[in-house]
Amino acid sequence: MTLSSLQRNRHLLPVLVGVMALALFMLPPLFLSTFMVRVFLISLLSTGLAVSWNILGGFAGYWSFGHTLYVGVGAFTAGKLVPLLGPNLGGIEVLTFSIVAGGLVSGMLALVLAYPLLRLRGIYFAIAMLGVAELTGEISSSFDAIGGAMGLTLPIVVPENINPAVFYYYLFLALNAIILVIAAFIKYSRFGYGLASIREDEDSAKMLGVPTERYKIIASVISCALVGISGVLYGFYLGYFTTTSVFRVDFSLNMILHTLIGGIGTLFGPILGAWIMVFLTQFVLGKLLEIHILITGLLVIIIVLLAPSGIIGAAKAWLEKRQTAEEGISKGEESETDLYLNQV
Amino acid sequence: MNLIIQTLIDGIMLGGVLSLAAAGFSLIFGVMNVISLAHGAMVVIGAYLGYVSWSFLGVDPMIMIPVVMVVMFALGYGIQRTIIQWAVVRAAPVASLVVTFGLALVLRNTLDLVFSPDIRSVSPAYAFMNTGIGFITVDVVRLVGLGASLCLLVFLAVLLNRTAFGRIIRATAQQPHAAELCAINVQHVYGLTFAVGSAFAGVAGVIIGIIMPFSPHAEGHWTLNAFVVVVLGGVGSPAGALIGGLMLGLIVTFTAQFIGPGFTNAMMFLILVLMLILRPEGLLGHAFGESR
Repeated sequence: MTLSSLQRNRHLLPVLVGVMALALFMLPPLFLSTFMVRVFLISLLSTGLAVSWNILGGFAGYWSFGHTLYVGVGAFTAGKLVPLLGPNLGGIEVLTFSIVAGGLVSGMLALVLAYPLLRLRGIYFAIAMLGVAELTGEISSSFDAIGGAMGLTLPIVVPENINPAVFYYYLFLALNAIILVIAAFIKYSRFGYGLASIREDEDSAKMLGVPTERYKIIASVISCALVGISGVLYGFYLGYFTTTSVFRVDFSLNMILHTLIGGIGTLFGPILGAWIMVFLTQFVLGKLLEIHILITGLLVIIIVLLAPSGIIGAAKAWLEKRQTAEEGISKGEESETDLYLNQV
Repeated sequence: MNLIIQTLIDGIMLGGVLSLAAAGFSLIFGVMNVISLAHGAMVVIGAYLGYVSWSFLGVDPMIMIPVVMVVMFALGYGIQRTIIQWAVVRAAPVASLVVTFGLALVLRNTLDLVFSPDIRSVSPAYAFMNTGIGFITVDVVRLVGLGASLCLLVFLAVLLNRTAFGRIIRATAQQPHAAELCAINVQHVYGLTFAVGSAFAGVAGVIIGIIMPFSPHAEGHWTLNAFVVVVLGGVGSPAGALIGGLMLGLIVTFTAQFIGPGFTNAMMFLILVLMLILRPEGLLGHAFGESR
């Protein structure tokens, strides 16, 4: 009885928090300056990327160091296909088409890459992804047919009388909501538990009948397609982009960093991490340009040292500790995050 | 034909230095399973130490190599015993990745503040001399760099394979728990390993500083180079670093010569990815891998 109600609560709580947060995030553009809306927008972009990365990196334990590949692929897909559409389509049609195309191309690329790359484990997978991302970036700027060196231009799709920043803010917000719902469904589904088993011990999982190969590929395709869609939106938001503005190593690193700081493998960790880090870097450190990077680095070190399983992990551990102290029952020592961290 | 031989020689010259720059990274990775993203920063710090000794003290950087080694050894030991050890013990080996990334940012920014982000170069009297046999030209400074790299790699190999200290490191790498049972202070050995790795990074930095211009922002480049070298050659051994470094040197020079200078990075990453798919443990394999 208690178990089932607990489980139902575990499903219910994220939904409630998510809906409330969504409603809350509808408000800021109504009273904030354009600059602030842009900062919020960057936070939303980072959040979407981090949550998408977390599907493969956090749930399945496959750390990709090159997820910016799909930001680039999404943006470039839009940049190459939109000019072929002809001038008759309206902004929303162009955008919808680009999102579908970008998601499909990213997902298909992930599917193709999954066969050779997902056989690699741990750090080797991470670096192979970094290599593929860098290689694709180099190719996109080296060949004139792709035109990454000169840059691609996307048409303006923002309806008139709407502040572009606000328009993209709501687009990114909607995308975030979708990504988060997908991530939540994955985490609490049979598929999600399969991914968790892969993360904890892939060989045992395989032995016990988890279709590890298929699960890994699906997780990768979903994660990469979502990043690709973020890339499409980012491309439209920029309007004009080159290889260096979408194939950015710092995108890849930030996805990992935000996820780690918030709590890897958790649903809301990446969101928390992304907002904290974006606001810290944009505001607190914006005033200290000379030592901006130094303080960012120090912060990263301090956060990892003080809260190794992320903010959510630390909070969970603290709550559990208090609970066991109150109940006076000796529970199993290892929490979910501890188990995970022992494994990695 | 001349061009091919000349390119080959250039590739080997470059490869020797790349090997040395990656040897410490390889050792740290092999023994501790820690990917030090701050390795490139260590290399650049070495280059700046050479710069300081040449432009402020007026001493030839090559003579300062022992001093640089001692300084970097101490720095490396300190970093390992405080930051990285804490991260690995409290969190996970993977957390060390993030911590060393943060460290790289801190070191880079500190170098920026101290030396400014300008590109520097060290040019002692022999920096522009060259010699040659027949139609082949060789920069003296690169030759010296290659020679010094080979000597130091041999020194590292002897240290690892022929001394009691090396035996302790190898034992710790293979079985940390068993080593601990044999009264080895594993954390201390990790500290020493990181210190040795940093010392070699520093020395590589000194040599690189003489051969080519550098700035604090080169650190990412050197970290990446070290990684590619290790993936090509194999983890943990100086021999693996040498093979990987030479291969990378040849790949870079041949691509630049025959395909185009713009394609060196693309080729490097292509080979990296292919290598990871075909033989992820590198040509020589993991030096300490047998008992893992």
